[in-house]
Amino acid sequence: MSDIKRAVSMYSLQDQYARKKMTLSDIFEYLNDLDAGLEFISDQMLKGTPEPSEESLAEWDRLVEQYKPDLVCNDIFINTCLYKNRTLTKKESVDLLIKEIKLAHRLGFKMVRLVSNTPANIIEPALPYAEKYDVVLTLEIHAGMSFDSPLTMEFIEVMKKLNSPYVGLTVDTGIFCRRHPRVSTNYFRDLGTNEEVISYIDHIFASGTDPKQFFAGVRSEGKQFPEELSLFLKTQNDFEYALFADGYEMSPFTILDEYMPYVKHIHGKIYEMTEEGVEYSIPFDELIKYLHKAGYNGYIATEYEGNRFTLPDMPILDKENVTAHQKMLKKYIDEL
Amino acid sequence: MFDNYVFTEGTCKNVEDKGQITGFSLQSLITYYRGIPCSMIHDIKVMVDGQEIPREKIRFSPDGTDYFTLDELTTVTTYKWEYGEQGTIFVEQAGGLSGGEHDVTLSIAVRVAYIPVPFGGTKTRQVMITQ
Repeated sequence: MSDIKRAVSMYSLQDQYARKKMTLSDIFEYLNDLDAGLEFISDQMLKGTPEPSEESLAEWDRLVEQYKPDLVCNDIFINTCLYKNRTLTKKESVDLLIKEIKLAHRLGFKMVRLVSNTPANIIEPALPYAEKYDVVLTLEIHAGMSFDSPLTMEFIEVMKKLNSPYVGLTVDTGIFCRRHPRVSTNYFRDLGTNEEVISYIDHIFASGTDPKQFFAGVRSEGKQFPEELSLFLKTQNDFEYALFADGYEMSPFTILDEYMPYVKHIHGKIYEMTEEGVEYSIPFDELIKYLHKAGYNGYIATEYEGNRFTLPDMPILDKENVTAHQKMLKKYIDEL
Repeated sequence: MFDNYVFTEGTCKNVEDKGQITGFSLQSLITYYRGIPCSMIHDIKVMVDGQEIPREKIRFSPDGTDYFTLDELTTVTTYKWEYGEQGTIFVEQAGGLSGGEHDVTLSIAVRVAYIPVPFGGTKTRQVMITQ
């Protein structure tokens, strides 16, 4: 038996919602069919966030009353780039965070996820509000901006110093990729990306490390990529393929050992569920065993990112991937 | 990355005001996965048959009611371009687009805090203008 629970991030259903194939009511019904909780993005599906109108809130209340979703987490963003000519001050950013905490509370969420690179110095001033409104603040640990990123390190320092049950982490499983997502490869291949670049990146993963670690040496010398890779980068797509390869990390699960007391939430990143019912890049069976052994009893929220790599004029298989991932999570959790 | 959301099909048309064609408009979904204040729209570009429209001729409206120039947009923080809602791009051009077929390209870039460079999408559509 395990207390690990399942949820779905609304990142997964962005296309359904944008194209008005699914309303919020359809989504709540879908989640109930999956017996999964809701990870919401209020900026996406609640107009006027962080200050929605009374009408919007009344509609939210009505839907929550009707479907009784399990309100797991709201994903929030501090728009420090609100203005083109300057970055928001600390005071402005703290004020925005407080507004988001109050909104999360009003909507019924007890946790928010702060996107990577959120300034660490706004956490302590907002902590009294997190406590008062009973909302846990978690920073997302995302591949490309994970534990070795300066802003993440700053946050972790603040988190350890405050040592509060209201400050923690949301870990995105994109840091546990064992190979480059095939759907991304095929998307860039379709755009004409050089096969030598694709093969070069695949070889890095096959050698047992990830591009960010592999490039670390030359980056400390001020170069972006090793010389032999740079020679292959002939077009913008070649360059982007190499650049975005940083966004898939191959960390061992044990990288979480020291952080597990602070891990409040997991983003179950998926790029592609295969016909065998597993994620192409990420070994969820091993991950769930690790989490269980570490005593994790929070949620794993499916975050489908294959939508980004759907070939032009092909349908986005978002619901199919989410449903398959939820089925897989349920199987692995039940097996514990 | 968001090319599939730029420039909604079938939305490009001439705009008439008091009996005069004052320009043309087109619509788009946001090139992102959430709504943002309009000041975070970094840039909008329109090209017609290979010719770029001067930026001062471009207006944007998040709601189809209030329109802003690109310079004005930089301070528009209380209007959001909501996710899943069509934004309207109006190009001021006396007489609008001439009758017949045109290649119209729309590019939209947005600015977000956690990604170091503005990003967005571009789409070219063949547009038939009937007059």
